[in-house]
This record gives sequence, structure tokens and C-alpha cells, in this order.
Amino acid sequence: MSSAVATLNRLYAWKIRGVRWVEIIGVMLVAAMVFSVYLAKAAAARESARISDLERQISDNGQRVRLLRAEVARLEQPGRLEALSRGAGLGPVDVHRQATEASLSTLVAVSAPPPPAPVVAPPVEDAAPAVDPVAEPAR
Amino acid sequence: MSVHDPFAAERPVAYGGRRYMPSWRWLAEAMWWVEHSFGRAHADARPEEDTRVRIFVILSLFSAVFVLLALGATHAALLTARGGVGSAVHPNAVVRADMVDRNGALLATNITHYGLYIDPAEVWDRKAAAAQIKRALPRVSMAKLNKVLNGDRRLLVINRLTPQEKVAVHGLALGGVAFEPEDVRVYPLGESARHVVGNVDTGGVGLSAAERAFNDEIRAAGARGETFQVSIDLRIQGILENELAAAATETKARGAVGIITDVQTGEVLGMASWPGSNSRNLASAATYEMGSVFKTFTVAAAIDTGRADMNTLLDASEAFQIGNRRITDFHATNKVLTLEEVYLHSSNIGTSRLSTEMGPRVMRDYFERFGLLSRAPFEIASETPIIPREWSDSTLASLSFGYGISITPLQMAAAMQALTNGGRYIPLTLRKGGRPDVQARQVISPETSLTMLDLMRRNVVRGSGGRAEAPGLRVGGKTGSANKSVNGRYSTAHAVGTFAAVFPADGPVNARRYQILVLIDEPQTYPRTGGFVAAPAVGRIADRIAPFLNVQRRADPYRTAVGDKIPAFEDLEGDGR
Repeated sequence: MSSAVATLNRLYAWKIRGVRWVEIIGVMLVAAMVFSVYLAKAAAARESARISDLERQISDNGQRVRLLRAEVARLEQPGRLEALSRGAGLGPVDVHRQATEASLSTLVAVSAPPPPAPVVAPPVEDAAPAVDPVAEPAR
Repeated sequence: MSVHDPFAAERPVAYGGRRYMPSWRWLAEAMWWVEHSFGRAHADARPEEDTRVRIFVILSLFSAVFVLLALGATHAALLTARGGVGSAVHPNAVVRADMVDRNGALLATNITHYGLYIDPAEVWDRKAAAAQIKRALPRVSMAKLNKVLNGDRRLLVINRLTPQEKVAVHGLALGGVAFEPEDVRVYPLGESARHVVGNVDTGGVGLSAAERAFNDEIRAAGARGETFQVSIDLRIQGILENELAAAATETKARGAVGIITDVQTGEVLGMASWPGSNSRNLASAATYEMGSVFKTFTVAAAIDTGRADMNTLLDASEAFQIGNRRITDFHATNKVLTLEEVYLHSSNIGTSRLSTEMGPRVMRDYFERFGLLSRAPFEIASETPIIPREWSDSTLASLSFGYGISITPLQMAAAMQALTNGGRYIPLTLRKGGRPDVQARQVISPETSLTMLDLMRRNVVRGSGGRAEAPGLRVGGKTGSANKSVNGRYSTAHAVGTFAAVFPADGPVNARRYQILVLIDEPQTYPRTGGFVAAPAVGRIADRIAPFLNVQRRADPYRTAVGDKIPAFEDLEGDGR
């Protein structure tokens, strides 16, 4: 026990040019800590500035989005849309012309128009029209 | 203390020669002990040891503080909660949250506007500046502009400049012109839904309707950068407003009200009052005697108490006499009617007989439970109903067909909900999802509710509500027509036509179901009955909103899915009363 105390006393009393090593090491540790704190603070300040910048951008974009949403809402006013629809001749679809997805198979198919008759190229000697189009009476 | 203490003689009872209160004496003595410890150590011949102790104590103190700081720094660096970095305020935070409908469509928002300030000391050519600003901003008052330009200090010229207006003025590059941002509540839908949304004052405090009712919640949501949802569906609201305006214009009415609700939750999906937002909201701020719609409540009470069923016979072959008062039917049938016929014929005699048989206690009890005797519990403040002071037989007869009691359309909508959702009275609400803090109260039994649903459907199929039919949507309802009291007398020139409807009327009591109420105040076209002025609007509204509510067109025992009759029923009277 007494040898341990003696060792500690010796270490404590270890000096260079009249200055204890304990004090030199302590000052160096404090300097290292101050420097590291400075670095950490500087990095934090950079991050904080970047975060503030991003938040400002988010806020600006939010403002623009709000403005655009308000404009969209104004243009999509139900009364305005209905007036435009009525003006364009649109209206609610008659119930007889409505169908659900389930009833699609029961709908009567619209008869397809007959295929156009094949056009046969007239012989060269019959190319002249049978009736003079100029003579056709106007209808 | 050592007896050799050389300072003992100097040690004051009162430190520093002053007398202290006993409670301070211990502190004075402690300071004295510290200050004189070096001398004491010398006196004890231990000066070196004393210095070391002091150094050790100071070292220990500094080390402890240093370790604490190091631990704090480590904790802050490694264990800080996520989100602790950056500003405490949400980047999208606003004074008031955007108000949106149940699907997220915008109803009200906050937009940054700008106040235009001018410092005349920095303006070179004031006349030219005034002319340029007026050109860029035509709505600015020239008098105000000149007053500020010719003043001696910086003043506000105009506020609420839109971002576009700000750009226009900023583009003039004038000296002394500055802009200050201000948060302004904007209602992009204009007049649409304004009776529901309400408005705020310049300080951002809600003044009316939902803005006032949910003021604190809207502000809290704004601080979190979130939106605030209300129960209305803008698509349904738009249809209701358009059809209501069309009906009111067509009938040359003085006013009109429309309310659409989800009967199972009490949510208001649409609420409109015609004319527009500059007038009061007739749904909550006006009371009406609504006429025969009340027969629904009288019949429901009679069925629910077991006093009547659909086959009960009531004598309407002659007028019902109560004292000197003769109660007659609008179109007398002069025969004995079943309960169904009483309802479908809208017989005053039949319902008067029912009400007087039930008596004042039962009638009052049911009216109370339907919420007809007290102000509607709703987020928007509403008018108090005008109810009878005494409940004589004559009063009961009047009440049975909707006279002698004036209620708000909101009360009627809530009562009709209770009739058609299994008998539960659920207060109306503008809160999406319904009010979590309110327990529904049972008004009538689920069986009575089912009977009333069928009766209301039959009334549309073969009674007075035929014009409310929407193909395949199984609309049920009851018409109401009443003359208004003018200068203490009922005037036939001033009427109110109502139609209270529900769709789809079939299915179990807890099926998804919607209630539509349309009231036309003082229609000028003839006939003025609810079946003619209000029912057609209800039919059109149901037809148009059904796709948004996902109500499929289906056949029921009375009509096919496209509205064809099975078999052909007729309007018994054809009067739509």
C-alpha cells in the first residue's frame, strides 16, 4: 500500500524543467478536448445552417403548393364545373343508358355496320361514268 | 473547535460585527470557519497539509464538474431523440390548418399575402410613383396612396396583396416600397359551402360555423402542419347547392334549405342554405312549422307504443271535432282509413285521432326523444325551437300534422335519422367519422324503424312523394306543407314545402342509408305543396349523389332497377300533399 502511494507520489512529482508532467498532460488533454469541441460545434453549426436552409425551402415549397392547391380548388368549384358542363351540353346520364360492371355481359351488342363492299377497279374501257355527274340534279 | 484557537476570541456571535437572525447564524459561522482555516492550520502547525487538502478539494470539485459536463456532452451527442435537431416549429406550420372535406378537397387555406408599405423619404418622384403603383395595382385607393406619399413617415398603403400583385408592384423597382408578409385565410370555393365552413377574423380566430366550432383543433393542426377534415363531401355539397338553387329559382321561393346526412353516423355530408353566404344559414338559424312531415313521428309513436299497426282503422269519414275546432283533410276521403292510408293520404283527421288517443304524456315523451323540443346538439349554434306551452287535445292534434311547433331544419334532419337508422337518435355533426363523445339514445324500436322505412317507401311509390322517385335507388320519404303565420293568422299566400327523404329505404336497419331534407320557403308557383316544390329536387339530388355514395340501383317490391312499376301504383290523390 505504502509502495503504491510512493509510486503515485513519484509520478506526481515527475517534472521537466520544473513543470510537472501531470500538468503538461492535463493541459494537452484539455487542449485536445477544446479542439474537438470546436470541431464538433463547427460541424453542428454547418448542419444547423443546412437544416435551416432545407426548412426554409420546405416552407417556400409548402407556400407554393398551398397557392396552387387554392387555385385548383377555385377552378374546380362545383358550381363553376356544373355551369361549364351545362354549357357544353353535358348532363346526368339517363338511367336506361347506365350499366354496372356486372351487367356488361347482358347488354345487347350494337349491330356492327356491314363491311364495305369491295371496290373493283373498272376496266379501262368502262372507266367513264355511266351518268354525267354534272347532269345530276341537286338535292 | 480547538481551545488553542487564536481567533476564538475574535469569533463573533454575529459574523462581521453585525447581529444576525438565528437562522442565518449557522451560515455566518461556516464562512468564518472557511476564511480562517489557513490561520487555524498554521496554528496547529500543519500548513503544508492544509494546502494539499485545499488543492485536492478544488481539484476534486473541478474534476467532478468536468466529468458531469463530459457526460452531458456525450449524452447530448449520442442519445438525443430523433427530431430534436432543427427548429422546434414545423416547417409547414401555419396559424390555421387547411380545412378539407372528407376526401381531402380543399375548403379553406392560409396563403401568405403582403402589406404594402411606403417610406416617402426614400421616394424620388412621388407623382410618378403614385401613377405607376396605381397602374400596377388598380384596386389601391389613390387618396390613401397620395396621403402616404406626401406624409413624413413609413405607413401602410394597402394590405392583403396577393403574391401576383406583390410581383407587379415589386417589378416597378421603386425606392421606399416594402412588403411585409401576413397570413390570410382564403376560401377558394367562393360562396360554395360557406355556411358550413364559416369565416375568421383578421386575427385568425374563427367567427362562425366550422371555423368557430373547431377553432382550437384547427389551430393545433396548423401548428403541426396538418390538415383538418370535416364531414362534408364537396361533390355532394356541390350537387345539393346546385339543385337547391335550381328548385328555389324554379319555384320563385324566398329561401331554401337542403341537408344530406349519413343516418348511421350523423355526419353531415352536405348542408346548403339559399340564397348564398351573405344571408343567415336557414338550416340552423330559422325555425319553421313543417306540416305533414310530423305525421311520420305521430305514426311512429303510435306503432312504437303498440297503439296501432298497419291495419288499424281510423275514421276519417267526417271531420274530427275537438271542442269548437273542426279538423278536416286537405282532400277528404270521407271513409274509414287504415294506418297506411292515413299516412299515404296525409290525413289530418287520422293523425289527430292517434295523437289525442296517445295523450300529452306519450306525445311529449316521443317528441322530446326525437329532439323536437330542444335546440339541436350541433357544432354550429342553432335557433331554439318554438314549442307549445300547453298540451291540450287541440294542441296535440295540431302537433300531429306539424302545426303549433316550429323547429329548425337541423332538428328535422336529426329526427328523421332516428326514424330510419333503427331508432337511434344520433346528433348531427360536422366531424368526420361522427362524434366520439356522444352515445346514441334509443327513440323507437328497430322493428318500428323498419315499418316506418317501408311506409315512407310506399309513400313515394303510391303516395304524395311520387316526384321524389329516383330509379332503382329505393327512395322513401314524407312530404310536408304548411301555411306560415303572418301577423298572427295563417296565410295561404305564404307557405313552406318540405320533403324529408331517405334512401335506400330497403335492407336491414343498420344498412348504409342517407337522409335528404329539402325545404322550400314561400314558393310562388302553384301548387305550393312539398310534393311539388321539394320532392322533385330530392329525387334529382338522390339520382346524382348515389354514385358518390356507392349506392347501387336495384329493384325492390315496387319498382324495377330502372324505375318501371311492379305493378303499376298510382298517387292516391295526385296532390303531392
